[in-house]
Amino acid sequence: MVQRITNYFTALGKVIKNWFIKLGKNTKSFFVNLPRNTKNFFIGLYQIIKHYLITSQYPVYLSAIVMGLGQVFNKQYIKAALYFLVEVGFILFMVFLGGNYLSGLITLGVNQADPILGIQGDNSIALMLMGLVSVVIIIVFIYLYISNIRDCYRTRNVILNGKKPNTFVQGLKDLLDKNFYKTVLAIPLIGVAVFSVVPIIFMILIAFTNYSSSLEPPTDLIDWAGFESFQTIFGAGNISDTFFKILGWNILWAILTTVINYFIGLGLALLLNSKKLKGKVFFRAFPILAYAIPGFITMLAFKFMFSNGGPINYYLKLFGADTIDFLGIDSTWTARFIGLFVNAWVSTPSIMLLATGILSNLNTDLYEAASIDGASKFRQFYKITLPFVVFSTTPVIISQFISNFNNFGVFYFLRGSIYSSGYFVASDTDLLINWLYRLSIDQQNYNIGGAISILVFIITSIISLLVYVRSPAYRKEDTYR
Amino acid sequence: MKKSIFWLLPILLLSSCGPSGQDGTSVGGDVSELIFSKFDGNLEKERGAVLHILENDLAKESGYLKELLDGFNEKYAEYGITAVDANLDEYTDLVNSGPYGTGPDVLYQANDSLMKYVPGKHILPIPVDRLECYDQVSQIGWDTFTSDANYNSTFTYGVPVNIQTPLLYYRKDLLPSDWQANWDDNKNNIPDMVETRNSMYQYSKQLKESSGGTKFGFMRAMQDSYFVSGYLFTYGAYIFGNNNKDTKDIGMHKGNAKYGAKFIRDFSAVMDNRCTDLTINATGYSLLANGEMFATTNTPDTTRSYITTFRDVLINPTGQYKMTAEEANKYIDENLVITTLPKMPKNGDVTDPNETEFIDTTMMGGIHGYSISAYTKYPNACLAFLDYATSYELLKKRTETLQLSPAREDLAEVTTPINKEIYNMLENGTIYMMPSIEELALFWPSAQTLFADLATDGLRKDNFRYDTLDKIQAALEKLSKDVYDAIWTLQ
Amino acid sequence: MIKNKSSKPKRYLTTILVYIITVIVCFIFFFPCLWIILAAFSGTGSIYNFNGFFPPNFSLKTFEQLFTGVTDVSGDTVMYPYMTWFLNTLIIACATAVIGTLLLISTAYVISRFEFKARRKLMKGALVLGMFPAFMGMTAVFIMCTQFQLLNNLWGPILMYSTTAPVGYLVQKGFFDSIPTSIYEAARIDGVSNFKAFYKITLPLSKPILVYTVLTQFTWPWSDFILPKLLLQDKSNYTVAVGLMTLPDTEFSRFCAGSVFIAVPIVLLYFFVSKYMVNGLTAGAVKG
Repeated sequence: MVQRITNYFTALGKVIKNWFIKLGKNTKSFFVNLPRNTKNFFIGLYQIIKHYLITSQYPVYLSAIVMGLGQVFNKQYIKAALYFLVEVGFILFMVFLGGNYLSGLITLGVNQADPILGIQGDNSIALMLMGLVSVVIIIVFIYLYISNIRDCYRTRNVILNGKKPNTFVQGLKDLLDKNFYKTVLAIPLIGVAVFSVVPIIFMILIAFTNYSSSLEPPTDLIDWAGFESFQTIFGAGNISDTFFKILGWNILWAILTTVINYFIGLGLALLLNSKKLKGKVFFRAFPILAYAIPGFITMLAFKFMFSNGGPINYYLKLFGADTIDFLGIDSTWTARFIGLFVNAWVSTPSIMLLATGILSNLNTDLYEAASIDGASKFRQFYKITLPFVVFSTTPVIISQFISNFNNFGVFYFLRGSIYSSGYFVASDTDLLINWLYRLSIDQQNYNIGGAISILVFIITSIISLLVYVRSPAYRKEDTYR
Repeated sequence: MKKSIFWLLPILLLSSCGPSGQDGTSVGGDVSELIFSKFDGNLEKERGAVLHILENDLAKESGYLKELLDGFNEKYAEYGITAVDANLDEYTDLVNSGPYGTGPDVLYQANDSLMKYVPGKHILPIPVDRLECYDQVSQIGWDTFTSDANYNSTFTYGVPVNIQTPLLYYRKDLLPSDWQANWDDNKNNIPDMVETRNSMYQYSKQLKESSGGTKFGFMRAMQDSYFVSGYLFTYGAYIFGNNNKDTKDIGMHKGNAKYGAKFIRDFSAVMDNRCTDLTINATGYSLLANGEMFATTNTPDTTRSYITTFRDVLINPTGQYKMTAEEANKYIDENLVITTLPKMPKNGDVTDPNETEFIDTTMMGGIHGYSISAYTKYPNACLAFLDYATSYELLKKRTETLQLSPAREDLAEVTTPINKEIYNMLENGTIYMMPSIEELALFWPSAQTLFADLATDGLRKDNFRYDTLDKIQAALEKLSKDVYDAIWTLQ
Repeated sequence: MIKNKSSKPKRYLTTILVYIITVIVCFIFFFPCLWIILAAFSGTGSIYNFNGFFPPNFSLKTFEQLFTGVTDVSGDTVMYPYMTWFLNTLIIACATAVIGTLLLISTAYVISRFEFKARRKLMKGALVLGMFPAFMGMTAVFIMCTQFQLLNNLWGPILMYSTTAPVGYLVQKGFFDSIPTSIYEAARIDGVSNFKAFYKITLPLSKPILVYTVLTQFTWPWSDFILPKLLLQDKSNYTVAVGLMTLPDTEFSRFCAGSVFIAVPIVLLYFFVSKYMVNGLTAGAVKG
């Protein structure tokens, strides 16, 4: 056992070491090769252009200047019109909005607004955000632009080879067949890029600005500030203290909740699957009930339940015991345990459902063989059930870990009004995400909030990377399949 | 990924030369003339205006808002101007709604909320001397809404309407039957416990001990900074120096602030742990109504809740009283007393039953008022609304319906006696006006941490943290430093 | 078999033990729910008037207030228009369920079934996206909605919920992975297009995962309050979760009544489809 643990940690150490070495190497090679890569890039570009110019005829050339012009010469009028409209739309967008947004992304606005005098100024954060959206639009346009040249070139070749090019209807049909994946992915990709990726990049960028409580867009202009917010976090003693204190608890919490919820969920599934139990459907209804009730309702109910004037203290008082300050300022560990309990109450039913399904896939022959061999129930569980379930659900465990790491609800509801001494605007049960909320939403220090979310991201991604690397799924070299 | 960055670079560089505009902040000529030119009084050109009015929930649920809007709409029907309920949360931040066209035109909020909009120029300077209420409103009230943050000129940005400061709520029927003999040392026919904190302390202690912790004298949330920081102010503490404007000078440890802090600790010992979390804020109404506590403090806007909760208990057919509605109203009038806060001991020791010198309690307070959003299209109509809403008749109705304390002197005179007293407190400076600056947000968390710890300490059985004045003083100095650090490390 | 016979008393003991534990567990899960239901029928508003867990008296007053939207105080001003909130929630949740499911299912299907250049990159990207503390992007989402005129508009949350849904495609992809490829190859030979194969072959086989997806896409907006609180400012645009959170503490029983009323449909849904849930989730998780 000890041997295995040591092995695990040596392996872990190696992975971390290699990861950093690789990172270092990549960074180095990136900068070392930067001049060469740049050169190669332009040479490549030149060659591509030359290739198209030489191998194809004037329509391709025309298409590279004005989208759709080549298609006109290929006699694909509808396609030509569509491409042309895309280009016109894009140019109009860039002239009227995009250019302004992009420059805003760099300058973060230059005109101060004055609502009192009715002067419409620049909204720094809106400019930054719309600048990013414009980048997405530009990427989409570049994709379409390249596909326009490529399409023209291909069609040209088909024509030169004396064949008939695809008709427009045929092209539409392809969208549902050969290019089905493109058709389907287009909307989700753009949606995710705009509404999910852009906000994240925005948040990362905010970490490098001076967007704090003293500045209030849209009337105040914000500006780039480099690594100042990171300096604040690690420079000011109270903030970095709080950060590491919270981080320690946050990691402990994530591990504890993941393990506890997983085993309780599995235990529930086993219990409610037990052959000795009659009326399974009835009993299973209770955890499902807990699963189905919206989280904010149960969290608030638990908060009231454990509050100083709440029912539990009522009974304590009734039986002559002293009331307990479950969630008060002194109750660090009581509150943490209540948090663990509440989170288990909310999360275990879903794991139970999952485990129930997995257990039903378990091959019963194994058990029969095991009982014939005289293996005890516990041994059967330890040797057969557990490995099977754990193996099957590694990805779930990892995603559970990440969502527990960033579990906002529990302590927001239970102890949202508590601030602990020795912490900078936080309570001693807060997770990083709660602290983030207090710093950025309550106190409006968005730059600090952004910097902390970058740190949270780095931490969670390192941890999950490590777990992935050691997981059976990864060793099968099939993580993403 | 690398490639796409290369694609972007030239485009980014090319388009970085955006349109350059004029500097918006420089305003030539007479600023106030320019700004007040918006208020040219020409209602005709704002015909068809629909004003969105943000009022507080109290005004809404009591039906006063409807009356106000109906009255205004009738009066200005000839100009086709109507006012409607903005239907937003009463604490809506104008910064997040005004610029995007979803905000109100006129808003009623506390002075600290409203004045926070000033540096961002989200609310308009108001030509207050044109309003009917101008001469009647307390000068301190006007000062509260005055700022020189913009254009290097002094402007008034809001119209004071109601004064908010904690009052004492107690039940006469819960006084000990022998109070006239034993609890009225100065024989003025006012029970001592509502006159001095020391008597209140003694009474609370006696009640808690004799009932085995089921009955209490005075209770309230002892970590609620808004309410308890007043105890420190009474003894000379302040939040920001230079009239609450200097954020480099934090004075929570100044003067004899430690007495105030000790007061929090001492008094929480005669309450129970419901006062260390916020449950008491929700349960206070019913605790007073069902007689579990004798007295509490709260702001005038909660008066209605105390009365209705009390009435519910009195008329409950299965309860102890079983009164009719009429009897209940009469009973409440006689027994629910709202008065100014008891005095604090001059020597700073509330547990000392022999102290004879007392000082007035200074409490944190504020003024709720009206402001006009800078994003409104109808400044003249808004001004007309302000004039109407702060007129004698309407404010009188407001004061009576909502049981709030008016900031108008003529009204304070004629309504209830307590209103007059509150008005005088404002004039005398025993109301510590809530700072109207952004940095106040960084004061609350640190203050609340210490107050909660102090209150909890009063209930601890061992491991006391604040059992000597020196420890308290050290904690207060740390508080001032924490607030200072919070403000200056993040800027 | 021999071993089991020899320990008959022990077997009874374990059976009894199983029942005892089950009952305790069920009680733990049931009790808070029961408390909320009891509180919903309470005659008094604040929980602090309760005798422990139990309201001093019961009445239907809270539900009456809930649906008329008035407070006790005046009786005619609608402060908390619960029915409007309920309708808003229903619109947002249903629209998200439809659009979100459509986007998510098709994404998962394509990633499971097709080989193309960017596939692995997309999957890695989704993985990375999942690791960011999502609500830090909330400020950005707010600003975006102000720019796209989606502030104070039910379409704002709908668009946000449904467009970001495809990031969580893994479970659904796992399910599609478990459908044998041979079916498609046969269809391919018959000259069936990819789109046809999707809706003629895949969809009929995917009932469990469809039900699961619709349900999860429905319940998330149904009970979320952070996003709608940010984007819906007008009280008549509130969702139930936002509205209930604005209730003062003294209105605990109204909060409970409102909660019960929105929890019931979800609970019923879960009961009717829990079989599908288990099947869908399992197939997804094992392979995912």
